[in-house]
Amino acid sequence: MSCPKTAYLLQEYFSDSLSAQAGAEFDKHLAQCRECRAELDTLLHTRQELLSWQEQRVPHWDRGLELFKREHAATPPATGWFARWQWAPTAASFAMLCLLLLNTSVSVSDSGFAIVFGGAAERAEIDRSLATFEAQQLAEFESLIRRFEARQDSNNVQFLQAVMEQTQQSTAESLDRIYAYFEEQRLRDLQDMQLGYQQLADSDYATLRSLQELAQFVSYRDSAR
Amino acid sequence: MSVIDEDEALIVAALAGSPHAWEKLVKRYECRIFNQGLRLMGNPSDAMDLLQEVFLGVYRNLHRFRGDAKFSSWLFRIAHNKAIDLSRRKRLLAGTPPNAEGEADSLESLPADRQQEPEISLMHSELNQRIIKRLSQLPLAQRLVVELKVFQSMTFEEIADMQDISENTAKTRFYAALKKLKQTTEDEHVLS
Repeated sequence: MSCPKTAYLLQEYFSDSLSAQAGAEFDKHLAQCRECRAELDTLLHTRQELLSWQEQRVPHWDRGLELFKREHAATPPATGWFARWQWAPTAASFAMLCLLLLNTSVSVSDSGFAIVFGGAAERAEIDRSLATFEAQQLAEFESLIRRFEARQDSNNVQFLQAVMEQTQQSTAESLDRIYAYFEEQRLRDLQDMQLGYQQLADSDYATLRSLQELAQFVSYRDSAR
Repeated sequence: MSVIDEDEALIVAALAGSPHAWEKLVKRYECRIFNQGLRLMGNPSDAMDLLQEVFLGVYRNLHRFRGDAKFSSWLFRIAHNKAIDLSRRKRLLAGTPPNAEGEADSLESLPADRQQEPEISLMHSELNQRIIKRLSQLPLAQRLVVELKVFQSMTFEEIADMQDISENTAKTRFYAALKKLKQTTEDEHVLS
Protein backbone atom coordinates (compact mmCIF):
# COMPACT_ATOMS: atom_id res chain seq x y z
CA MET A 1 0.00 0.00 0.00
CA SER A 2 1.65 3.20 -1.12
CA CYS A 3 -0.97 5.88 -0.44
CA PRO A 4 -0.02 7.84 2.70
CA LYS A 5 -3.60 8.99 3.25
CA THR A 6 -5.18 5.54 3.51
CA ALA A 7 -5.01 5.04 7.27
CA TYR A 8 -6.33 8.50 8.13
CA LEU A 9 -9.05 8.50 5.48
CA LEU A 10 -10.35 5.04 6.27
CA GLN A 11 -10.37 5.76 9.98
CA GLU A 12 -12.47 8.82 9.27
CA TYR A 13 -14.65 6.89 6.83
CA PHE A 14 -15.92 4.68 9.65
CA SER A 15 -16.45 7.69 11.86
CA ASP A 16 -20.05 8.66 12.62
CA SER A 17 -19.38 12.34 12.18
CA LEU A 18 -18.14 12.42 8.61
CA SER A 19 -19.35 15.72 7.22
CA ALA A 20 -20.83 16.01 3.72
CA GLN A 21 -17.80 17.97 2.56
CA ALA A 22 -15.38 15.42 3.98
CA GLY A 23 -17.44 12.67 2.40
CA ALA A 24 -17.26 14.34 -0.97
CA GLU A 25 -13.49 14.77 -0.69
CA PHE A 26 -13.16 11.18 0.34
CA ASP A 27 -15.17 10.00 -2.65
CA LYS A 28 -13.02 12.16 -4.90
CA HIS A 29 -9.85 10.61 -3.49
CA LEU A 30 -11.26 7.09 -3.79
CA ALA A 31 -12.04 7.66 -7.47
CA GLN A 32 -8.36 8.45 -8.03
CA CYS A 33 -6.62 6.10 -5.56
CA ARG A 34 -6.76 2.40 -6.30
CA GLU A 35 -5.00 1.39 -3.05
CA CYS A 36 -7.46 3.21 -0.85
CA ARG A 37 -10.38 1.82 -2.81
CA ALA A 38 -9.09 -1.73 -2.50
CA GLU A 39 -8.42 -1.30 1.22
CA LEU A 40 -11.88 0.15 1.82
CA ASP A 41 -13.50 -2.70 -0.09
CA THR A 42 -11.75 -5.36 1.98
CA LEU A 43 -12.56 -3.61 5.26
CA LEU A 44 -16.22 -3.25 4.28
CA HIS A 45 -16.26 -6.90 3.28
CA THR A 46 -14.72 -7.84 6.62
CA ARG A 47 -17.36 -5.85 8.45
CA GLN A 48 -20.06 -7.41 6.33
CA GLU A 49 -18.79 -10.88 7.18
CA LEU A 50 -19.07 -10.05 10.86
CA LEU A 51 -22.65 -8.92 10.32
CA SER A 52 -23.49 -12.30 8.86
CA TRP A 53 -23.52 -13.62 12.42
CA GLN A 54 -26.52 -15.87 13.00
CA GLU A 55 -28.28 -15.34 16.28
CA GLN A 56 -28.07 -18.48 18.37
CA ARG A 57 -30.70 -19.70 20.76
CA VAL A 58 -29.95 -19.56 24.43
CA PRO A 59 -29.59 -22.97 26.07
CA HIS A 60 -32.16 -23.71 28.72
CA TRP A 61 -31.56 -21.96 32.00
CA ASP A 62 -33.79 -20.97 34.92
CA ARG A 63 -33.41 -17.21 34.29
CA GLY A 64 -32.70 -16.64 37.95
CA LEU A 65 -36.29 -17.56 38.77
CA GLU A 66 -35.31 -19.84 41.65
CA LEU A 67 -33.41 -17.03 43.30
CA PHE A 68 -36.15 -14.56 42.52
CA LYS A 69 -38.88 -16.76 43.99
CA ARG A 70 -36.79 -17.65 47.02
CA GLU A 71 -36.09 -14.02 47.84
CA HIS A 72 -39.60 -12.82 47.11
CA ALA A 73 -41.48 -15.76 48.53
CA ALA A 74 -44.07 -14.83 51.19
CA THR A 75 -43.29 -16.38 54.54
CA PRO A 76 -45.84 -19.16 55.24
CA PRO A 77 -47.76 -18.83 58.52
CA ALA A 78 -46.02 -20.67 61.30
CA THR A 79 -47.83 -23.45 63.09
CA GLY A 80 -47.27 -25.64 66.15
CA TRP A 81 -46.03 -24.90 69.66
CA PHE A 82 -43.21 -22.71 68.37
CA ALA A 83 -45.72 -20.44 66.67
CA ARG A 84 -47.71 -20.10 69.93
CA TRP A 85 -44.66 -19.32 72.08
CA GLN A 86 -42.38 -17.54 69.65
CA TRP A 87 -43.37 -14.20 71.26
CA ALA A 88 -41.75 -15.34 74.54
CA PRO A 89 -38.09 -14.51 73.72
CA THR A 90 -39.13 -11.06 72.48
CA ALA A 91 -41.20 -10.43 75.62
CA ALA A 92 -38.34 -11.56 77.84
CA SER A 93 -35.92 -9.31 75.99
CA PHE A 94 -38.33 -6.39 76.34
CA ALA A 95 -38.74 -7.01 80.08
CA MET A 96 -34.96 -7.13 80.52
CA LEU A 97 -34.62 -3.91 78.55
CA CYS A 98 -37.23 -2.20 80.80
CA LEU A 99 -35.41 -3.38 83.94
CA LEU A 100 -32.18 -2.04 82.54
CA LEU A 101 -33.62 1.32 81.43
CA LEU A 102 -35.50 1.93 84.70
CA ASN A 103 -32.40 1.08 86.70
CA THR A 104 -34.38 -1.37 88.82
CA SER A 105 -32.71 -2.97 91.81
CA VAL A 106 -33.91 -5.66 94.17
CA SER A 107 -32.44 -5.48 97.69
CA VAL A 108 -32.85 -8.35 100.12
CA SER A 109 -32.53 -7.73 103.87
CA ASP A 110 -33.53 -9.49 107.12
CA SER A 111 -36.87 -7.68 107.12
CA GLY A 112 -37.74 -8.78 103.59
CA PHE A 113 -36.89 -7.54 100.08
CA ALA A 114 -37.50 -4.27 98.30
CA ILE A 115 -37.65 -3.33 94.63
CA VAL A 116 -36.25 0.12 93.96
CA PHE A 117 -36.35 2.09 90.67
CA GLY A 118 -33.61 4.59 90.09
CA GLY A 119 -29.98 4.86 91.08
CA ALA A 120 -29.88 6.52 94.60
CA ALA A 121 -30.91 3.54 96.69
CA GLU A 122 -28.71 1.34 94.62
CA ARG A 123 -25.76 3.70 95.10
CA ALA A 124 -26.27 3.79 98.90
CA GLU A 125 -26.50 0.02 98.93
CA ILE A 126 -23.35 -0.21 96.86
CA ASP A 127 -21.55 2.24 99.20
CA ARG A 128 -22.62 0.18 102.20
CA SER A 129 -21.53 -3.02 100.59
CA LEU A 130 -18.24 -1.43 99.61
CA ALA A 131 -17.60 -0.13 103.17
CA THR A 132 -18.34 -3.56 104.67
CA PHE A 133 -16.20 -5.23 102.13
CA GLU A 134 -13.36 -2.78 102.76
CA ALA A 135 -13.54 -3.37 106.57
CA GLN A 136 -13.52 -7.10 106.04
CA GLN A 137 -10.58 -6.82 103.72
CA LEU A 138 -8.69 -4.63 106.22
CA ALA A 139 -9.33 -7.02 109.11
CA GLU A 140 -8.27 -9.96 107.00
CA PHE A 141 -5.19 -8.09 105.91
CA GLU A 142 -4.16 -7.20 109.47
CA SER A 143 -4.75 -10.77 110.62
CA LEU A 144 -2.66 -11.97 107.76
CA ILE A 145 0.14 -9.53 108.68
CA ARG A 146 0.06 -10.70 112.29
CA ARG A 147 0.21 -14.32 111.27
CA PHE A 148 3.03 -13.55 108.93
CA GLU A 149 5.01 -11.69 111.62
CA ALA A 150 4.52 -14.54 114.10
CA ARG A 151 5.66 -17.06 111.56
CA GLN A 152 8.68 -14.89 110.70
CA ASP A 153 9.68 -14.61 114.38
CA SER A 154 9.34 -18.35 114.88
CA ASN A 155 11.38 -19.01 111.78
CA ASN A 156 14.10 -16.59 112.91
CA VAL A 157 14.43 -18.25 116.34
CA GLN A 158 14.61 -21.68 114.76
CA PHE A 159 17.20 -20.44 112.34
CA LEU A 160 19.35 -18.87 115.06
CA GLN A 161 19.17 -22.03 117.15
CA ALA A 162 20.17 -24.12 114.22
CA VAL A 163 23.08 -21.79 113.47
CA MET A 164 24.26 -21.83 117.05
CA GLU A 165 24.02 -25.61 117.34
CA GLN A 166 25.85 -26.05 114.13
CA THR A 167 28.52 -23.56 115.21
CA GLN A 168 29.00 -25.24 118.60
CA GLN A 169 29.17 -28.66 117.07
CA SER A 170 31.65 -27.54 114.52
CA THR A 171 33.81 -25.86 117.23
CA ALA A 172 33.91 -29.07 119.35
CA GLU A 173 34.73 -31.14 116.31
CA SER A 174 37.54 -28.74 115.39
CA LEU A 175 39.06 -28.88 118.89
CA ASP A 176 38.94 -32.67 118.87
CA ARG A 177 40.65 -32.70 115.53
CA ILE A 178 43.33 -30.20 116.73
CA TYR A 179 43.86 -32.18 119.90
CA ALA A 180 44.25 -35.43 117.96
CA TYR A 181 46.65 -33.73 115.59
CA PHE A 182 48.80 -32.39 118.43
CA GLU A 183 48.77 -35.77 120.16
CA GLU A 184 49.86 -37.45 116.98
CA GLN A 185 52.64 -34.90 116.52
CA ARG A 186 53.76 -35.37 120.08
CA LEU A 187 53.99 -39.16 119.67
CA ARG A 188 55.85 -38.79 116.41
CA ASP A 189 58.35 -36.37 118.04
CA LEU A 190 58.80 -38.78 120.91
CA GLN A 191 59.60 -41.60 118.55
CA ASP A 192 62.02 -39.39 116.65
CA MET A 193 63.68 -38.42 119.89
CA GLN A 194 63.99 -42.06 120.97
CA LEU A 195 65.50 -42.93 117.64
CA GLY A 196 67.94 -40.07 117.96
CA TYR A 197 68.99 -41.16 121.41
CA GLN A 198 69.45 -44.70 120.20
CA GLN A 199 71.60 -43.56 117.31
CA LEU A 200 73.57 -41.33 119.60
CA ALA A 201 74.07 -44.19 122.05
CA ASP A 202 75.14 -46.50 119.27
CA SER A 203 77.56 -43.95 118.06
CA ASP A 204 78.98 -43.42 121.53
CA TYR A 205 79.29 -47.15 121.95
CA ALA A 206 81.18 -47.42 118.69
CA THR A 207 83.45 -44.60 119.76
CA LEU A 208 84.19 -46.32 123.04
CA ARG A 209 85.00 -49.57 121.31
CA SER A 210 87.34 -47.75 118.95
CA LEU A 211 89.09 -46.06 121.89
CA GLN A 212 89.30 -49.38 123.68
CA GLU A 213 90.84 -51.03 120.63
CA LEU A 214 93.21 -48.11 120.24
CA ALA A 215 94.26 -48.42 123.87
CA GLN A 216 94.81 -52.17 123.52
CA PHE A 217 96.92 -51.55 120.43
CA VAL A 218 98.98 -48.91 122.14
CA SER A 219 99.55 -51.11 125.23
CA TYR A 220 100.43 -54.05 123.01
CA ARG A 221 103.00 -51.94 121.10
CA ASP A 222 104.51 -50.60 124.29
CA SER A 223 104.87 -54.09 125.72
CA ALA A 224 106.39 -55.27 122.50
CA ARG A 225 109.09 -52.62 122.77
CA MET B 1 -46.83 0.63 24.59
CA SER B 2 -43.20 1.23 23.48
CA VAL B 3 -40.32 -1.09 24.29
CA ILE B 4 -39.01 1.37 26.87
CA ASP B 5 -42.39 1.67 28.56
CA GLU B 6 -42.78 -2.09 28.53
CA ASP B 7 -39.35 -2.49 30.11
CA GLU B 8 -40.23 0.00 32.81
CA ALA B 9 -43.55 -1.69 33.53
CA LEU B 10 -41.81 -5.06 33.81
CA ILE B 11 -39.18 -3.59 36.12
CA VAL B 12 -41.83 -2.11 38.41
CA ALA B 13 -43.68 -5.42 38.51
CA ALA B 14 -40.49 -7.39 39.12
CA LEU B 15 -39.54 -5.05 41.95
CA ALA B 16 -42.98 -5.65 43.41
CA GLY B 17 -42.14 -9.38 43.44
CA SER B 18 -43.67 -10.70 40.22
CA PRO B 19 -41.60 -13.66 38.96
CA HIS B 20 -43.55 -13.59 35.72
CA ALA B 21 -42.46 -9.98 35.04
CA TRP B 22 -38.85 -10.84 35.87
CA GLU B 23 -38.88 -13.83 33.53
CA LYS B 24 -40.38 -11.75 30.74
CA LEU B 25 -37.76 -9.05 31.24
CA VAL B 26 -34.96 -11.61 31.07
CA LYS B 27 -36.43 -13.27 28.00
CA ARG B 28 -36.48 -9.98 26.13
CA TYR B 29 -32.71 -9.57 26.36
CA GLU B 30 -31.16 -12.96 27.09
CA CYS B 31 -30.60 -13.84 23.44
CA ARG B 32 -28.72 -10.63 22.70
CA ILE B 33 -26.58 -10.97 25.82
CA PHE B 34 -25.86 -14.65 25.11
CA ASN B 35 -24.78 -13.94 21.54
CA GLN B 36 -22.68 -11.04 22.74
CA GLY B 37 -21.10 -13.44 25.22
CA LEU B 38 -20.37 -15.95 22.46
CA ARG B 39 -18.59 -13.34 20.40
CA LEU B 40 -16.66 -11.90 23.33
CA MET B 41 -15.89 -15.03 25.33
CA GLY B 42 -15.64 -17.48 22.45
CA ASN B 43 -17.62 -20.44 23.75
CA PRO B 44 -21.17 -21.23 24.96
CA SER B 45 -20.15 -22.20 28.46
CA ASP B 46 -18.45 -18.85 29.14
CA ALA B 47 -21.27 -17.09 27.33
CA MET B 48 -23.72 -18.74 29.76
CA ASP B 49 -21.54 -17.70 32.69
CA LEU B 50 -21.63 -14.16 31.39
CA LEU B 51 -25.39 -14.31 30.86
CA GLN B 52 -26.00 -15.50 34.40
CA GLU B 53 -23.63 -12.96 35.91
CA VAL B 54 -25.20 -10.14 33.93
CA PHE B 55 -28.74 -10.96 35.04
CA LEU B 56 -27.63 -11.60 38.61
CA GLY B 57 -26.08 -8.13 38.54
CA VAL B 58 -29.27 -6.70 37.06
CA TYR B 59 -31.38 -8.45 39.70
CA ARG B 60 -29.22 -7.20 42.56
CA ASN B 61 -29.21 -3.64 41.25
CA LEU B 62 -32.66 -3.40 39.75
CA HIS B 63 -33.87 -1.12 42.55
CA ARG B 64 -31.10 1.33 41.63
CA PHE B 65 -32.24 1.64 38.02
CA ARG B 66 -33.75 5.11 37.85
CA GLY B 67 -35.02 5.14 34.32
CA ASP B 68 -32.83 8.11 33.33
CA ALA B 69 -31.39 5.97 30.55
CA LYS B 70 -32.89 3.13 28.58
CA PHE B 71 -32.95 -0.19 30.38
CA SER B 72 -31.18 -1.80 27.41
CA SER B 73 -28.30 0.73 27.63
CA TRP B 74 -27.97 0.05 31.34
CA LEU B 75 -28.10 -3.71 30.73
CA PHE B 76 -25.46 -3.67 27.98
CA ARG B 77 -23.20 -1.51 30.09
CA ILE B 78 -23.41 -4.15 32.81
CA ALA B 79 -22.77 -6.89 30.21
CA HIS B 80 -19.74 -4.97 28.91
CA ASN B 81 -18.23 -4.63 32.38
CA LYS B 82 -18.99 -8.24 33.30
CA ALA B 83 -17.35 -9.45 30.08
CA ILE B 84 -14.17 -7.59 31.01
CA ASP B 85 -14.28 -9.03 34.56
CA LEU B 86 -14.88 -12.55 33.31
CA SER B 87 -12.06 -12.33 30.74
CA ARG B 88 -9.66 -11.14 33.43
CA ARG B 89 -10.71 -13.92 35.79
CA LYS B 90 -10.30 -16.53 33.08
CA ARG B 91 -6.89 -15.17 32.21
CA LEU B 92 -5.85 -15.30 35.86
CA LEU B 93 -7.13 -18.85 36.21
CA ALA B 94 -5.31 -19.87 33.05
CA GLY B 95 -2.16 -18.30 34.49
CA THR B 96 -1.72 -16.03 31.50
CA PRO B 97 -0.20 -12.64 32.40
CA PRO B 98 -2.24 -9.53 31.53
CA ASN B 99 -1.37 -8.57 28.00
CA ALA B 100 -0.69 -5.31 26.32
CA GLU B 101 -3.18 -3.90 23.87
CA GLY B 102 -1.28 -5.18 20.89
CA GLU B 103 -1.28 -8.82 21.95
CA ALA B 104 -4.05 -11.24 21.25
CA ASP B 105 -5.76 -12.46 24.40
CA SER B 106 -7.80 -15.01 22.72
CA LEU B 107 -9.30 -18.41 22.90
CA GLU B 108 -5.82 -19.65 22.20
CA SER B 109 -4.91 -18.65 25.72
CA LEU B 110 -7.63 -20.95 27.06
CA PRO B 111 -7.02 -24.60 27.85
CA ALA B 112 -7.01 -26.60 24.63
CA ASP B 113 -9.82 -28.96 25.64
CA ARG B 114 -12.10 -26.01 26.17
CA GLN B 115 -11.88 -25.15 22.51
CA GLN B 116 -12.64 -28.67 21.49
CA GLU B 117 -15.86 -28.99 23.45
CA PRO B 118 -18.29 -30.94 21.28
CA GLU B 119 -21.18 -28.62 22.19
CA ILE B 120 -19.41 -25.79 20.40
CA SER B 121 -19.34 -27.60 17.11
CA LEU B 122 -22.91 -28.71 17.59
CA MET B 123 -24.24 -25.30 18.49
CA HIS B 124 -22.24 -23.02 16.30
CA SER B 125 -22.97 -22.75 12.69
CA GLU B 126 -19.89 -22.87 10.55
CA LEU B 127 -20.17 -19.18 9.84
CA ASN B 128 -20.41 -18.25 13.49
CA GLN B 129 -17.45 -20.43 14.31
CA ARG B 130 -15.41 -18.63 11.70
CA ILE B 131 -16.39 -15.25 13.10
CA ILE B 132 -15.59 -16.34 16.65
CA LYS B 133 -12.22 -17.65 15.53
CA ARG B 134 -11.38 -14.37 13.84
CA LEU B 135 -12.59 -12.26 16.75
CA SER B 136 -10.56 -14.38 19.13
CA GLN B 137 -7.41 -13.15 17.40
CA LEU B 138 -8.12 -9.62 18.62
CA PRO B 139 -7.10 -8.18 21.97
CA LEU B 140 -10.06 -7.79 24.31
CA ALA B 141 -10.07 -4.00 23.98
CA GLN B 142 -10.42 -4.20 20.19
CA ARG B 143 -12.93 -7.04 20.38
CA LEU B 144 -15.10 -4.92 22.67
CA VAL B 145 -15.01 -1.97 20.27
CA VAL B 146 -15.96 -4.22 17.34
CA GLU B 147 -18.80 -5.72 19.38
CA LEU B 148 -20.16 -2.32 20.35
CA LYS B 149 -19.70 -0.73 16.93
CA VAL B 150 -20.70 -3.55 14.56
CA PHE B 151 -23.13 -5.62 16.59
CA GLN B 152 -24.59 -3.07 19.00
CA SER B 153 -24.51 -0.24 16.42
CA MET B 154 -23.18 2.26 18.93
CA THR B 155 -21.54 5.52 17.91
CA PHE B 156 -17.89 6.13 18.71
CA GLU B 157 -19.02 8.80 21.16
CA GLU B 158 -21.11 6.24 23.06
CA ILE B 159 -18.29 3.68 22.94
CA ALA B 160 -15.82 6.24 24.26
CA ASP B 161 -18.21 7.10 27.07
CA MET B 162 -18.79 3.47 27.98
CA GLN B 163 -15.12 2.53 27.94
CA ASP B 164 -13.92 5.78 29.45
CA ILE B 165 -11.58 6.43 26.52
CA SER B 166 -11.37 9.20 23.95
CA GLU B 167 -13.38 9.04 20.75
CA ASN B 168 -10.17 8.98 18.71
CA THR B 169 -8.90 5.99 20.67
CA ALA B 170 -12.14 4.19 19.97
CA LYS B 171 -11.84 4.95 16.24
CA THR B 172 -8.20 3.85 16.17
CA ARG B 173 -9.03 0.60 17.95
CA PHE B 174 -11.86 -0.11 15.54
CA TYR B 175 -9.74 0.54 12.49
CA ALA B 176 -6.88 -1.55 13.87
CA ALA B 177 -9.35 -4.34 14.64
CA LEU B 178 -10.77 -4.31 11.11
CA LYS B 179 -7.30 -4.44 9.63
CA LYS B 180 -6.36 -7.34 11.87
CA LEU B 181 -9.57 -9.18 10.95
CA LYS B 182 -8.88 -8.58 7.28
CA GLN B 183 -5.38 -9.98 7.71
CA THR B 184 -6.73 -13.05 9.51
CA THR B 185 -9.21 -13.63 6.70
CA GLU B 186 -6.46 -13.40 4.10
CA ASP B 187 -4.31 -15.83 6.11
CA GLU B 188 -7.23 -18.28 6.24
CA HIS B 189 -7.63 -18.11 2.49
CA VAL B 190 -3.92 -18.74 1.98
CA LEU B 191 -4.01 -21.77 4.31
CA SER B 192 -7.11 -23.23 2.71
